[in-house]
Formats: sequence, structure tokens, C-alpha cells
Amino acid sequence: MNLELIKIRTDVVKAIRRFFDERGFTEMLTPRLVGLPGQEPYLDPFWTTVALPLLERGSRRELESGEFPAALITSPEYAMKKLLAAGFDKIYDLGPCFRNREPWDGTHDPEFLLLEWYRKNAGLEELMTDAEEMIASVIARSTTTRQSPEIASFLAMTDKPFRRMTVADAMKQYAGIDLEPLLGNREALAKVAVEHHQTVRSEDSWDDLFFKLFLSEVEPKLGWNETKTEWQPTFLYRYPASMAALARKDPADPRYALRVELHIGDLELANGFAELADPTEQRKRFEEEKALRSKLGKKTWAIDENFLAALPAMGSAAGIAFGVDRLAMLLVGAVSINEILPFSARERFQN
Amino acid sequence: MASPSDIKKSIVIRDPQGLWVVVEFQHVNPGKGAAFVRTRMKNIQTGKVLEVTYKTSESIDIVDVEHRRMQYLYHDAMGYNFMDNANYEQVSMSDEDVGEQGKYLRESMEANISTFEGRPIALELPRKMTFKVIQTTEAVAGNTASGNITKEATVEGGIKIQVPIFIKEGEGVIVNTETGEYVERA
Repeated sequence: MNLELIKIRTDVVKAIRRFFDERGFTEMLTPRLVGLPGQEPYLDPFWTTVALPLLERGSRRELESGEFPAALITSPEYAMKKLLAAGFDKIYDLGPCFRNREPWDGTHDPEFLLLEWYRKNAGLEELMTDAEEMIASVIARSTTTRQSPEIASFLAMTDKPFRRMTVADAMKQYAGIDLEPLLGNREALAKVAVEHHQTVRSEDSWDDLFFKLFLSEVEPKLGWNETKTEWQPTFLYRYPASMAALARKDPADPRYALRVELHIGDLELANGFAELADPTEQRKRFEEEKALRSKLGKKTWAIDENFLAALPAMGSAAGIAFGVDRLAMLLVGAVSINEILPFSARERFQN
Repeated sequence: MASPSDIKKSIVIRDPQGLWVVVEFQHVNPGKGAAFVRTRMKNIQTGKVLEVTYKTSESIDIVDVEHRRMQYLYHDAMGYNFMDNANYEQVSMSDEDVGEQGKYLRESMEANISTFEGRPIALELPRKMTFKVIQTTEAVAGNTASGNITKEATVEGGIKIQVPIFIKEGEGVIVNTETGEYVERA
């Protein structure tokens, strides 16, 4: 552990709280342990059992045996949306979230600090502005002794808005691919994938083929300038609808969904949505997720009916999830998340 | 057939366009999506470099290559020069092919070179190597309760690594050449 770096991470958390508090957001402290976590097909929650105490033999009260499956949250999303439905307008939650089976590759830990914030009656634009301003504010409040050209130019760019690019623009600029005609057309996309030297198997979905191209040719360049010498914070938005289960479709073109990601350097910092508030559509997407989990041989559980019931009252909201540990990494030019954590995953689990 | 999870630096993959040596790879799960392995590979014959991304559930064809134990001699305009002590044959690898690993090479040290049809295609350094610390801040009688507090140090070759605070200038440290991390005192 490096004492200076650990302290910087703590300072980042305080600066983030201060930013949202000053702007009239109310901090929520949502539960970490829930009965019905999200069912994203590629996330694995940690499961345990919540049990009521056993009563003494011979007690006059009815024996209450209660044992309930419970999981650590992978994100506070459901609770936050229920709170929006209950009447809050601008809320944020900053706390540990838990995801199993993530690679220990220097950018993940099974336990990590996730910030989420939500606004009622808002869209992607407001989220992007919030994120830019929040990062600038954190930079202004932090002191680091680490130096590198990337950090220096990052710290200096606090008054410029971040670059904004649609997924289609990014595919065109970095991979030379025209996305429009390929939307929803797996055969055409497969042909392009082969031309770009990617492997195509019959079981590869449209999304799989898209990612092979995107990850190979676009993602590594997104958060950088042309010459790859400086970070260029970039919002990537307007995703093909299949990749945004919880987002509203773009009213101008329903083949796209209103989702945004923030990339800085090689890191994905944030993932945001104009949130879907139609319970029927949401239920349909949940059923699809569950089916895919089953197909992948993964455990499934009931859909959160309370969540679906709350959706209409949530209305037209926007929300975003942001990696706090990763922001701390950027500030100090850390190559691995372990540099800013007091105890690495290997230290905690591999002894 | 092998799995993309078997991909490591310097292995050779065969596909319809020929043989490719893996230069870099990374496991990626895009936006809570499926697991992929993004691979940068270089064609052994043409030198063409590409990024190919595999789903972890795919099969790939990993080819066996010859490994030769060679001694590093010197660096010049041609690149890094090695000699096979068994037959005194010399080979050279370009700066580009050796890349970041070049900074760890020390005169007369031994390393494995993978070759295909006699041509050197990748360098494999010993996973752990000893270096002298050239520059670092004062050794502090540390808070040994945690035993884990680190500071930056520069070792031979200008390489910067994180070391425990009790390490002094002039001391030898063992470094993992794959990750660039301190392992232990020499």
C-alpha cells in the first residue's frame, strides 16, 4: 500500500460528496444487502442467507423460522429508482458494490466504490455536464505528487468540455465502418467482421460481433488523442438498442438507445442512461435477461415486482454509475487499482 | 484446439491468414457484457500487426514453436543481439520486436527466444530478475505492523518500481519482469 495514494482516494470521495451536496443533491445510503439483485446476464452477485433467530425450545410464541436468500448489490440502481418514484428529485449514492468473477487485471476488485446519481426530468445531456463538472471539481480539490504527461494534461483540462461522440461516429472514425446499414442485420455485420479479420461463429450474436470490432479497433483509442500521447475524456453515446436494457429508446430513431459511457485513457469511468419508465417494456427486457442467464447456465431469481410497480412514478429520469476508484487511479496515474487500495484482492483472498 | 483463456505473450496462433505471435492481450468485459480477450498479434511472415478480439468461449489454434536458450550480447542499430552458446550462432531481434522488455536486458544474461523456422519471433525473459537500486528516498525505520508501505525507487536501466520503505540505495531487489513489480529483497 502507498500511504499518499490511499489518502488521495479518500480525498476524492470527500470532494465528490461535496460537489453533489453543494448542488442540492440528497445523499442516499441504500442497502448493500438485498433479496432481489439485478439480473444482468454477465454480472455475478455474491449470495448469502439472511436468517431470523431460532427461538428457545418450549417458547410459547410460534416458531418463526425465516431464512431468506440475500445478495450484495452489484449497483444501487433499483433502490435509487424506487426513491425517485417515492418523491426525491436529485439523489446520489456513493458506496461499495460487489461483483464476483471479475478479472483481477488491475482495473477491477470484487468490492469497489460505485457512485450513482439520478435526476428526474432529465436526459443524457445533464448527466454529461454533471460528470464533467464533478471531475473538474475533484481535480481542483486534489493534490498529487505523481507526474506524467498524461496526468499533467488531464489536470490542465478542467475548463474544456469533454469530447462527445456517437457510437456510429466512433465506428466510422476509428474502424472505418458505417454502422447504420448494419443495425439489426447480423449477416451484413458478420461479413464486415470477417473483412476486419475477426472470427465469426454461428453462435456469435449481433452484439458479440459488434464488440469484436469495437473492442479491437475503437475502444483502445476512445479515451486518447490522435497520437495517443494525452488522455482525451470522451463521452460515447447513442448505442444500438440491444446494448441498453435499462435505457429509453431514442425517440428520433428507436434502433438506438439513450446510453452514454465516459472513457478517459484506457479506463471506462461511467455508464449512464435516460432511464426506461415503462413497466411493460421493462418487464419484457427483464424476461430476456433472465432467459439469457439461464442459457448461460447461470442462476436466476424472481423479478423485483416492487421495482416495476414504482417505475411509472419515476417518470422521465436519467441516471449514471461512476467508478470512484478509477477516478482516483487517473489522478495519480496508477497502472493498477491496487496502488490506490489499502489492501489488494490478492492480499485479502489469496493467502 | 485451445481456449482464448490460454493466450499469453509470445504464443503463436494459427489462422487462415498464417501464423501470428501474440504481442499483447487483455481480458475485457465491455459494459457488463460477455467476456472477451482482445489480442494484438503480429504475423510472423509479413510483420503485419492486428487486433483480434475473441469470445472466451471460442476455440483457437495455438501452435508449438521452438524455444532456444540464448545469451544477450549487445544492442546496436540492428537491435538486440543474442548468441546460442551451443553452436555460437548469432541472431538479432529488432527494437520493435523486443519492445518494453528491452529495458530488462543485461549484458551476458540468458533468455529464451522462441523461433519459428529458425527466425526469432519472441523474447522470453526470466520471470524474476535482480536489479540494484540506484535512487530512492531515505530508508525509514518502518511501521512494521503493516509491513506493506511502499515508495518509488529507480533501479539499473532507469526502471521505476514501487518498493517497501525499508529498501536503501545500493541494495538489490528482485523484480517480476512480466508485471514490473517488486518481489523481494535480493
